[in-house]
Amino acid sequence: MMKAVETDLLVIGGGATGAGVAWDAASRGLQVVLADRGDLATGTTGRFHGLLHSGARYAVKDPRSARECAAENRILRAVAADCIEDTGGLFVSTPADDAAYADGFVAACQQAGVAATEVPVTEVLRAEPHLCPGITRAFAVPDATIDAWKTVWACARAAAAHGAAILPYQEVVRLMVEGDAVCGAVLRHARSGEEITVRARYVVNAAGAWAGRVARLAGCDVAVVAGKGVMVAMNHRLVNAVVNRCAMPGDGDILVPVRTVSVIGTTDARVEDPDRVQASADEVRAMLAAGESFIPGFTQHRALRVWAGVRPLFAATSPTSAETRDLSRGHTVIDHAAREGVGRFITIAGGKFTTFRLMAEETVDAVCADLGVRAECRTAAETLPDSEERHYYWIGARQAQAEARPVDDPLVCECELVSRQDLLVAAARRPGLDLDDLRRALRLGMGPCQGGFCMARATGLLHEAGHLDRAAANAALRDFVEERWRGIQALAWGDQLRQMRLDAWILLGVLDLEHLPE
Amino acid sequence: MDPSARMAGNDRAAADVVVIGAGTAGLVAAIRLSQGGLRVRVVAAGHGCLVLAPGVIDVLGYAPERVADPARALAPFVAAHPDHPYARVGPDGLDRALAWFRETVAPLGYVGALRHNRLLLTALGGLRPSCLVPQTMAAGDLSQGGPVLVVGFHGLRDFSPALVAANLCAVVPAPGTGVAARAATLEWPGPSGDGRPLTLARRLEDRSLRAAVGRDLRTVLGDEPRVGMPAVLGVDRWQEVWEEMQLVAGRPIFEIPLVPPSIPGLRLFDLLRRVLRAAGGRLQVGAPVTGVRHRNGRVEAVTVARTPREQVIDTRWVVLATGGVGGGGLQVDPDGTVREPTLGLPVHGVPVPGHPRVLPDPFASHPLDRAGLAVDEAWRPVDRSGRVVALNLHAAGAALTGCEPWREKSGEGISIATGYLAASAILEEAG
Repeated sequence: MMKAVETDLLVIGGGATGAGVAWDAASRGLQVVLADRGDLATGTTGRFHGLLHSGARYAVKDPRSARECAAENRILRAVAADCIEDTGGLFVSTPADDAAYADGFVAACQQAGVAATEVPVTEVLRAEPHLCPGITRAFAVPDATIDAWKTVWACARAAAAHGAAILPYQEVVRLMVEGDAVCGAVLRHARSGEEITVRARYVVNAAGAWAGRVARLAGCDVAVVAGKGVMVAMNHRLVNAVVNRCAMPGDGDILVPVRTVSVIGTTDARVEDPDRVQASADEVRAMLAAGESFIPGFTQHRALRVWAGVRPLFAATSPTSAETRDLSRGHTVIDHAAREGVGRFITIAGGKFTTFRLMAEETVDAVCADLGVRAECRTAAETLPDSEERHYYWIGARQAQAEARPVDDPLVCECELVSRQDLLVAAARRPGLDLDDLRRALRLGMGPCQGGFCMARATGLLHEAGHLDRAAANAALRDFVEERWRGIQALAWGDQLRQMRLDAWILLGVLDLEHLPE
Repeated sequence: MDPSARMAGNDRAAADVVVIGAGTAGLVAAIRLSQGGLRVRVVAAGHGCLVLAPGVIDVLGYAPERVADPARALAPFVAAHPDHPYARVGPDGLDRALAWFRETVAPLGYVGALRHNRLLLTALGGLRPSCLVPQTMAAGDLSQGGPVLVVGFHGLRDFSPALVAANLCAVVPAPGTGVAARAATLEWPGPSGDGRPLTLARRLEDRSLRAAVGRDLRTVLGDEPRVGMPAVLGVDRWQEVWEEMQLVAGRPIFEIPLVPPSIPGLRLFDLLRRVLRAAGGRLQVGAPVTGVRHRNGRVEAVTVARTPREQVIDTRWVVLATGGVGGGGLQVDPDGTVREPTLGLPVHGVPVPGHPRVLPDPFASHPLDRAGLAVDEAWRPVDRSGRVVALNLHAAGAALTGCEPWREKSGEGISIATGYLAASAILEEAG
């Protein structure tokens, strides 16, 4: 007999939006099940640049998005402080940019309620010594950086504290429809293949770029266009604040300092299949060349890793153009009862990370209205776990933790300062997780060595602690090498190639990983 | 500035041979040249790669199937890889070079033969072929299988005896054989540690801490005729540590190499440096080459960076042994150009523009991996048309084209043989 659970609300998709919906609905008293086909935050959410928008980037082109971002930025700073580093942001006019754009930009920011203050260029260059000395104007905005994995898991933990069930690695294989309404789904575990039935009074499709596929399971049509964005992590924090070019948004015009690295982004190109996105070597070169326009010598710095994410762009009418930058970054709550006569089923389409909480609020408002539940949204005031003290994350936090640790808790990952105890606690918190899940949970293997030194250590520890049996340990290690390779193979030059060779020397040479028994 | 004026402000020195690079190839060449009576200076940007290597001498481990007898596998291997350094080394050259090497590093007691690859236990519990091994790993040939006790230390972060033993039970060294392995863990000696192998190796050099480890070891012994331990049995005083642990165990103990920094690699590096010094050679580390002066098709002087000013070394021969991409002896630009940065030598075997440099499978043999220097019969780099770049410039080691040492498990064999033979070519010319 297939295992069955009953719930008020089934949320499909464990990105920021889905986790936000789960948190919001659970805090209003609904019983919630959140399911994702993989680990949480592994789709678009886990593959963005980490920028918490102030709204300034959208001020000229999309004032509504700008206003939403400005408001959500303030709210998230209050409720998710532990996930945020308050780097501040800058918009700079480089010699290549039209200086007149800046005036329109300031006016648009003012209109949208985004605080943009002009800062003397000399002052900016003192704070950001890598920045192009030829910049003509600079504006400070309240951009910040936000850790997507931490945020999503904080939402999930908050939801769980309100009684929600969080089910990663559960793929929806079927939506159940009774009469003219959706009444649940059959989920299949990605690893065990075991199926369970979730009977739900309501289903929210928060599958982002994959929302069209999920909607089709109920016979509905959602025209989501996947817009590919390429990002490259550089091996240093080249800037202290988020730096944007003060120009119409284009490719490679944002540089985001994230922990010990900085991420340059991004591109925008339509892709057919969100599961098949890869950054090409040409795109990487173009991105690095774009970096030169505001950081002279950018191409000489070591590129650490490249990846591509897919924006879930929603078009009321299906666009055919390859250009997706002009599609709105806004979001839409689609009530399938009104549109196609399929009840108890909502798709939340489009949107962006910064506004995930607002998207969740609007979605759950609609769900509650439909279910006749009268409950106010609480997520604008309820702090997320670990953010209760409202202290922002800061760059030295892990070092401070490391210094406070007992000496007999050795570091497993020296790049990201992850200790043995950190690893074992994270593994015990989520049984059945693999090295890639741990990477997201702890940033294990995300530093300069990209796992060359720490992965074998981590595997041994997890085996010893009983989390991975022998064969699973070997497979996990191989999978991890393959996963890392995807992100570095387009960067085979300079010091990064030298690092790749050292890792090959260790993993293939000394440890002969290739010939380990299955 | 006028070059001669700049020269005037420099320190000057003279040598018969300047060897660039302090890895295996560079040190081997330098020792051999010093033993041959030449005045040798090794100049190196850093400490070389020996501390990264497990201290074993790989000759040919995979071709691409596991090689049991490198001596026999060599001929078909070079027939399939005519650009490989071994094609020029030849079986006789390899034999002579390895015999010389064993004698040169006699205090480390290397054992093994070119006719037999040993199967050594890795720190993950797999088996890895290698040819010559130091004394402390001599008992670790598992090619016939048999029971093994795998002993680790609590908190040693690079070695998990449980995983090693579990994997070891699953390997098949040869058809019909297997390894029965059991894991045991000893207490970290002394006050709690940082988990680093080097810290542990130093602790084991302390007699009283070692005694405690010995007592602990006795309690975990079983019927297994040999014991594998992580390669942490002492740094400088390894002999004393290793022998005493064997006495305690009453059976052979073999070391298992760990990820870098490698203690057996350190021991070998220290010994090679001592041998070089004893033979009259000099080693300058932290002295990257900044330029060379040519005259009449020869390199006449090598300039190295030094504090407070550059040093110019007049020389009769130069051996370039700066390593491959990993060692910094080759550099790759974003557009795929491969450069030899020290002397600007022509690089061969570079993938054509527009073709992939690396493949999507991390375990594959990547087109870029075989790029390097091509040399003539006297180990002198040649350009694309096969002409010698400089009459007195020789090259050895991982900078050579046509090989993938980490995949073939051929690194030390290539470095020792080419370093030895490049030195032989110079000695022959010197008379």
